[in-house]
Amino acid sequence: MFWEKEIETISSSDLKKLQLIKLHHTIEKAKKSDYYKKILKKTKISTLKDIESLPFTSKQDLRDHFPYGLLAEDLTESVRLHSSSGTTGNPTVVFHTKEDIELWADLVARCMYMTGVRKHDVFQNTMGYGLFTGGLGFHYGAEKLGMLTIPVGPGNSKRQIWFMQQFSTTAVHILPSYAIHLYSSFQELSLDPKKDTRLKTAFIGAEPHTNALRVQIENLYGIKAYNSYGLSEMCGPGVAFECPQQNGMHIWEDHFYVEIIDPKTGQILPDGEEGELVLTTLKRSAMPLIRYRTRDLTRIINEPCLCGRTHRRIERIKGRSDDMLIINGVNIFPMQIEQTVMQFPGVGNNYRIEILKENHMDRINVLIEVHEEIFNGTLSKLDQLKNQIIEALKSECGVTPKVKLVEPESLPINEGKAVRVFDMRRNEEE
Amino acid sequence: MADHLSIFLENKPGKLEKVTHVLADANINIHFISVASLGEFGVIKTIVDKPDIAHKALKEHHFTVSQKKILIAAIDDRPGNLHELLALFSENDINIEDCYGFPIKEQGKVGIVIEADAYPKIETVLASHHIHCIDLNEIT
Ligand SMILES: [Zn+2]
Repeated sequence: MFWEKEIETISSSDLKKLQLIKLHHTIEKAKKSDYYKKILKKTKISTLKDIESLPFTSKQDLRDHFPYGLLAEDLTESVRLHSSSGTTGNPTVVFHTKEDIELWADLVARCMYMTGVRKHDVFQNTMGYGLFTGGLGFHYGAEKLGMLTIPVGPGNSKRQIWFMQQFSTTAVHILPSYAIHLYSSFQELSLDPKKDTRLKTAFIGAEPHTNALRVQIENLYGIKAYNSYGLSEMCGPGVAFECPQQNGMHIWEDHFYVEIIDPKTGQILPDGEEGELVLTTLKRSAMPLIRYRTRDLTRIINEPCLCGRTHRRIERIKGRSDDMLIINGVNIFPMQIEQTVMQFPGVGNNYRIEILKENHMDRINVLIEVHEEIFNGTLSKLDQLKNQIIEALKSECGVTPKVKLVEPESLPINEGKAVRVFDMRRNEEE
Repeated sequence: MADHLSIFLENKPGKLEKVTHVLADANINIHFISVASLGEFGVIKTIVDKPDIAHKALKEHHFTVSQKKILIAAIDDRPGNLHELLALFSENDINIEDCYGFPIKEQGKVGIVIEADAYPKIETVLASHHIHCIDLNEIT
């Protein structure tokens, strides 16, 4: 039941010893980069707590020292780069040595093994391959675990279903919204995934989703769906993952040193309090990061887990600390809006949320493409859906939105980890 | 029985014309067409001679279409008749989603289009009251 029992069930005191050794190593390594050379010059770490004297590293620091400022190894040692698309300024680029890639694959294999998949499973990866880490991260992990891996990539639902049936796929890596969409394709083909496939496990992540949506996916497909957390700056998927208890994600503390801070003051918060997740890599070679502000808001669960793993858990990500919107004086996370809209069956990925100013008042516009999944031919059903979404957003966010139903193909197509909340007020002010 | 095609449309100039254009290009004959709208969006309902082909053509042009079975009941064109028909449905607990009429000249009758879910039941009720349901080819 463990990929690596010794490390997964390590005692707290042994973990701390290991972390201190690795932290020394990481700091020595980081000092080789142009960026950390100056910052870490006089750093002396004798206990883990001493890390608190070091400055945070932000996404902006990565952008400002693009492309090689944080590279701690000779570029010839790097075998791959991943990059997050930047809408403004430089993208963030992360380099990997051969060893980094191997450690990452091992970490993802550990995550998947934890959920019960084994060598004899057939794994279908519906995530995007490329600069985005979701596709390749899981691909290497699945191969490391020894599963037959089918790199289908995203989209083309008929082909996805064909592969699932032809090769008896048992595990998938899938966007939660796409899982809902794919189910309607099964229905169109008069197929029932419960009877007509061998699926038993789904790894879902890369976009916000509620527990209710997870349960919906589990019921539609008759499977177990596990939440996955990662970010390209740390490696990609594999940073934290749900165990069979499905109650929080174990964050792998032999790879990452974990802190939770108050995003406004930078103050460290005790376990259990909600704040911004800050991570320090403990094993990375090409690009070690120290006290990296993930901007993800969560909470540490430090109670022992029934699965026997000693690494602490983090809660489902609540939002991004720097994404918070203030709409007519109310604090709202885009994720709250997205999760609320996505829970309506058939809406799937086909929506766009705009925040704009009208007569000096902020307003939320939700644009939803009307596809066959939500259209039964009657006006009243559409009106009903529209009102349900307005009501749901009103109770979730305290703001009454305007819901517009639009024709298919009228919204821009999103791929991979998509941004669907657009704050147009910023543009108007400029 | 016949088929109803319902098409979702945004309420913008030229939208209806786009639908009729697609149907004309696919050589589809439109028997009836109605538009219902709720401010920014609406639904077009149409009865055509080749519903399957029309459905496919509209889908290819990225319209959202729903195809549903309907009944066309032929009743005498006299006062109170439609009321009797509708009363019949409510007595039998039949929920009607959409209903409208058109004259059938040669027979002195009115065709009442009925869109609902409980078809076998409706057909039984109509038959037991000697109300005739017509085919599309009887009126075209
Ligand atoms: Zn556990």
